[in-house]
Amino acid sequence: MPGISFAAKIENLEAMFRFIRKEAQAQGFDEKKVSQIQLAAEEALVNVIKYAYPGKSGDLEINCSNKEPGLEIEISDSGIPFNPLSLPEPDIHSPMEKRKIGGLGIFMLRKIMDEVKYKREDNRNILTLIKH
Amino acid sequence: MDPKFSVDCKEGMAKVELCGRLDATNAPLLQEELKKLIGQKIAHLVFLAKDLEYISSAGLRVMIFAKQKIGVDAHAYLIGAQDAVLSVIKMSGLDNFLTIQDTYNEQ
Repeated sequence: MPGISFAAKIENLEAMFRFIRKEAQAQGFDEKKVSQIQLAAEEALVNVIKYAYPGKSGDLEINCSNKEPGLEIEISDSGIPFNPLSLPEPDIHSPMEKRKIGGLGIFMLRKIMDEVKYKREDNRNILTLIKH
Repeated sequence: MDPKFSVDCKEGMAKVELCGRLDATNAPLLQEELKKLIGQKIAHLVFLAKDLEYISSAGLRVMIFAKQKIGVDAHAYLIGAQDAVLSVIKMSGLDNFLTIQDTYNEQ
């Protein structure tokens, strides 16, 4: 399983994207799907970067594997316990002046990926994204 | 990082030109730029997106911010968006408050 570790910093986001795009391309996804997978991954990665390590620095790890047919991306961190899937879905039909700013990222992640799972294991948050 | 956007405001029209990618790495910069328009009377809020290739929720949040904070009463437009961007806009329901057009004709 190809894996890579990064300091959980926004300036590393481009390098994270490069890794994920390469793995998605290797699984044969077309450019449109690769872009969607990157979009979903961005939402998960930014969550970790922003919230996993309040007031301190930390790492995150990305592991990709072949999920016949498709791709499984596992994003893990050793930050504070947080299940992004526990967030309520935003009401995308509410009028714009009442739209809440938060929650959109995870909402889109769930729309794009075929499966999204969270678990807390060995003091790590592990979010698994699967695209067939 | 080179700016991937420009903001121009005159005579009640705010034009926001977006290029390349609008994601978590540069959306906060755009939001800072748009904050400068708070308090101005904006009647038309125009996002020019012909050259925008990718938008994530960080970019969408800035569009929501713009509508809520600088253009509550403004008519908001999304102009020339590519399919990839348009599908994200529709997925998130932002098409409910945007007039989506291929080109923008000043009225």
